[in-house]
Amino acid sequence: MNHISAEPLDVVGLLAQSHHPQAGAIVLFSGEVRDNNMGRQVAYLDYESHESMANKMTAAILEEAKQKWPLNIAVAQHRTGKVGIGESAVVVITASPHRGEAYAANRYIIDRIKHEVPIWKCEYFTDGTRKWGGNCNCHDITGDANQHVYEFDELKK
Amino acid sequence: MKVQVFAALKDYFDKEFELAGEVQDVASLKERLSALNPGSRNMLQICRFAVGDEFVPQDFQLKESDTVCVIPPSSGG
Repeated sequence: MNHISAEPLDVVGLLAQSHHPQAGAIVLFSGEVRDNNMGRQVAYLDYESHESMANKMTAAILEEAKQKWPLNIAVAQHRTGKVGIGESAVVVITASPHRGEAYAANRYIIDRIKHEVPIWKCEYFTDGTRKWGGNCNCHDITGDANQHVYEFDELKK
Repeated sequence: MKVQVFAALKDYFDKEFELAGEVQDVASLKERLSALNPGSRNMLQICRFAVGDEFVPQDFQLKESDTVCVIPPSSGG
């Protein structure tokens, strides 16, 4: 599976492919484009990736999640290019026998994608200006571009 | 060597360009790029560098034939 897509993500189609006879729980996360950020009106986002690295790294994160939790299915796809308000920029689907694992694994996968995978967003505002996103500011805390502070770890505290 | 930059770094450099002359390792490449465009220095400090789809450390020895990707912090999702 290609984890990076220049075409609109088929959220419903991806879900339809994620049913599994041994899975009692499917969790689907869709990260969608909001019309505002930090008090500014957003017109759309534009995503860029280092595609070959992003593909490999996403596949590796999904494999690691499968090692950590008993998942029947783990799927992730991220959009590139121009993504409009209300459209899905990233989808993560996890299926497992029970819901706890599907929720935890889904959170783990999206947090790691956001922090580590070479995908960048540029916000285009309604006033005609643009700003490259800087979601991952972990280096300010950890002092190391390869060390991150993950939301799934914060949840445990 | 060939250098590829992404995202906000494209405000400072061409997306892909040739860098003439010897560059010993990643740390010295970072210095070269900072000197070429001082406005990029702060951003370069927090970038990761990759050769052949793998992240490489600061002391990684570069070859003339390498293509080096300069990877700013991710902001996907």
